[in-house]
Amino acid sequence: MKHLGTVLGSAICGALVFGIWPEMWKSYGIMGGWLAATVLISIAWFMNHWLGVIRNPDGRIWVDQGWAVGSAGVAWAMVRFGADFARCLPTLVLCLIGGLLAGWAATAVKKHLPAFQPAEEGED
Amino acid sequence: MPEWLSTYNDSLGMHHAAMITTIFGAFAVAFTVCICWPKMVEAFGPAGGMACAAIIVGTFWVMNHKLPGFGIHPELITGEDGKTVQYGLIHQGYRMAAPWVDMGFAIACGLWFLGVIEARSGRGIANTIESLPRVGLVLLGGAIGGAIVGLSGFTGAELFGWENMAAPLFPGK
Repeated sequence: MKHLGTVLGSAICGALVFGIWPEMWKSYGIMGGWLAATVLISIAWFMNHWLGVIRNPDGRIWVDQGWAVGSAGVAWAMVRFGADFARCLPTLVLCLIGGLLAGWAATAVKKHLPAFQPAEEGED
Repeated sequence: MPEWLSTYNDSLGMHHAAMITTIFGAFAVAFTVCICWPKMVEAFGPAGGMACAAIIVGTFWVMNHKLPGFGIHPELITGEDGKTVQYGLIHQGYRMAAPWVDMGFAIACGLWFLGVIEARSGRGIANTIESLPRVGLVLLGGAIGGAIVGLSGFTGAELFGWENMAAPLFPGK
């Protein structure tokens, strides 16, 4: 039961994104897409991550609702358009490579950024 | 070089140039989220997190996913060969016959890998293994949500302009 929130929060986030975003951008173009992000991801983030409906225990690796948005996109297209799952793999692999590189780069860059250094003791 | 970039790779379903832009688009949004979002929350609390949704996700959506590219074109924009042209950096495969791959994958993967690298020493592998079922649950939940939303196709609600996607499962009217 402790995982109920995780599954529900992910389902709602994925449903929000693909239930609203495509129509928003077809109705309002690029601004529609930007507005959809503003409206949907803010409330989904607040529910899933600030309030913690997606379970992320302290000291453990962060599991983001981005996974839910991604899998919702694949599932939505497969159900709605009969898209073939295997065809998502090239783009998916490239996105994951980009993500891995970014995680590594963020760690590397953070080591030298003053904003991320632990607070100094006893500064005069 | 220009010939190589503009070659469409049939087996992978995208142009060579698109492979480069996809990796970069994914990298850019994931890096920005990894660096900025935790600090925004630290500085501004939940309002900061919600602001990030607008500023980071919205703006990078425009760079990575903008379809149809310009203005309001419900029918998407087709090129000379009648196939959909993509203007975002993250190219969907096979002329958009592939399932939609969202930049959320890149963001989540970046944050995950950040956690793997920054885990307290000695806990790296244990934390990674602990995280995998939780990732699986989130993927499952998202798939359920997306699939249920996709069911609306069976009610006859045509999403016009997506003709280049594979044939719908439900028979045409």
